Amino acid sequence: MSEKDANPSAKDALVGGTLFGRWEKLRGREGTVVGITAILVAVFPYLFARAPVVSGFLQGYQSLATLILIWGIFAIGFDLLLGYTGLLSFGHAAFWGGAAYAAGIVAKNVSGDPIVMVVSGTLFAVLLAWVLGFLSLRRGGIYFSILTLAFAQMFYYMAASPLAFLTNGENGLTGVEVGSFLGVIHLEADVPSIGGMLLGTWLYAFVGVFFVGAVAVAYRILNSPYGMVFRAIRENEQRAEFVGLNVWRYKLMAFIISGGFAGVAGSLFTIHGAYVPLQSLFWTESGDIVVMTVLGGAGSMFGPVLGVGLYLYIENIVSTIQALTIPFTGIVLVRDFGFYWHLLLGVVFVAVVWVVPDGLWGILNRLRELAVDLGSKAAKRLRARSENGGGGQ
Amino acid sequence: MTLLETENLVKEFGGLVATDDVNLTVEEDERVSIIGPNGAGKSTLINLITRRLDPTSGDIRFKGESIVGLEPHQVVQRGVSKSFQTASIFPDLTVRENAEIAALAAERGAFGFEFLKHRDSLTDVHGVARDTLDSVGLLDRADTIATDLPYGDKRRLEIGIALASEPDLLLMDEPTAGMSPEETKSTVDLIERVKRDHGLTFVLVEHDMEIVFSISDRIVVLSRGGIIAEGTPDEIRGNEAVQEAYLGGVEL
Repeated sequence: MSEKDANPSAKDALVGGTLFGRWEKLRGREGTVVGITAILVAVFPYLFARAPVVSGFLQGYQSLATLILIWGIFAIGFDLLLGYTGLLSFGHAAFWGGAAYAAGIVAKNVSGDPIVMVVSGTLFAVLLAWVLGFLSLRRGGIYFSILTLAFAQMFYYMAASPLAFLTNGENGLTGVEVGSFLGVIHLEADVPSIGGMLLGTWLYAFVGVFFVGAVAVAYRILNSPYGMVFRAIRENEQRAEFVGLNVWRYKLMAFIISGGFAGVAGSLFTIHGAYVPLQSLFWTESGDIVVMTVLGGAGSMFGPVLGVGLYLYIENIVSTIQALTIPFTGIVLVRDFGFYWHLLLGVVFVAVVWVVPDGLWGILNRLRELAVDLGSKAAKRLRARSENGGGGQ
Repeated sequence: MTLLETENLVKEFGGLVATDDVNLTVEEDERVSIIGPNGAGKSTLINLITRRLDPTSGDIRFKGESIVGLEPHQVVQRGVSKSFQTASIFPDLTVRENAEIAALAAERGAFGFEFLKHRDSLTDVHGVARDTLDSVGLLDRADTIATDLPYGDKRRLEIGIALASEPDLLLMDEPTAGMSPEETKSTVDLIERVKRDHGLTFVLVEHDMEIVFSISDRIVVLSRGGIIAEGTPDEIRGNEAVQEAYLGGVEL
């Protein structure tokens, strides 16, 4: 004992080691995950849009922070299907756009209460996912993907013309008036005092609550029997059937659940923009969510959210850069740099998929493992030194 | 009691008759082996019983009820489980999760709505998975990712998955195929131990005659889709039709 006390730095290292071990144990707990998510959601808009230096460098703005969370919910649900169950849907625009329209139409005709909008949009998406899943999951592999794409495109064309009396056709659904939350809080208004500095608008807070809720639900699903069954289906569908699981119904549930997440996100998208563009049903939206999910890391809980962040950042902020200059000089590298944002995104996508197939989350994981490795080595070295020092006394 | 019964079972692939009017019965607690030269229709017969294939005609009854017309998972739920010829496991899941998947299906049925229930509360499932891994000797490797197991252990896990479904009848399709002599021996020990501990009825398809003659109560010999002989190992050993089937096709 006295030997260890004689060497305070080594003792600190040991305490640090157990603290780290304790953290590793806590890391997997549900409460920890949800809590940390809530904290990150709370500070994100401040760092992104208002904090000195950081936000100036990032050039973020409040509305984009909200949009990232909305697409994040979409991506988390999509990854339950793509990353965990191994089903590539190319028709999730139907649930995203369908919910957006449903929420908008309800707001125009029934009630503009944001809760009513989210509930009705999500319900519509869930029912639609049930029907489309029932039809599309009859086939596996690429045929499934094509079927989902075909059904989603059907909805796009229906919204474009035959249903124009409901959807306002190519102009998109305009004149959506979002009411106030609980009849008192206007979502566009700023949150007062410190909350306002962190969160910004009530709209962000509203979306943030849904985002944290989506994370909690998705995390619970992954730790329920479903999480295990989904991965089993992805790994070896035939074996899953031959241990006595009704694979077809589990796949349908995966499809419906992911449609539900897309529904929440799509409804929030209408509340966010007070407008539904026809494009929200177009196949490019289905493609975007695939790219975002794979870019961030399919088969991980938070990876797809990182993918969403990077994608929307390039689309909305990098695309506005006029000329790419070498920092602190006036030398222009590329004129109209922002014009090429699609190209940049493509290059980033190819690079990530090529170098780290598990996406941005995979990069973070590798860095973490490296840090743990270095940390444990350093602790061992310190311990060894303290023992040697003790022997010398 | 008769556990499994096939009645005039026929399977044709185009013009080829793979299963020709097979009447097979398996009694409870019996160990039956199906042997026969390559292409005799052994795997087809197993696939018909597990409902991987539809019969052309005939009936299959398990515990007295017809299972023709059921989905494969429903047959498993009735109590017929199968271990595959290749190690058909869930490669990226841990060994424990591999067993838990099967135990989940056995304890909680083919489907449930428990997507918001935490896995830690499924103590019955954990218990079955634990016991199964213990009996196939993989409990100390429970946290290994299945794909990292050596081949012999993968095959043991394969049998473990089949056992964790808590079957009344276990169909084993060449459990020792591709194994080294040591692995074969430990697998045979495993089968015998499982038989003793679980009181399981099983049907074994196997090429290795040594194994077949040492662990079967009854042997059924298939040739060109039909049963040409059945009886105890001693009866089969001296049967001329069997020797004809195995050697007759070869021009000596």
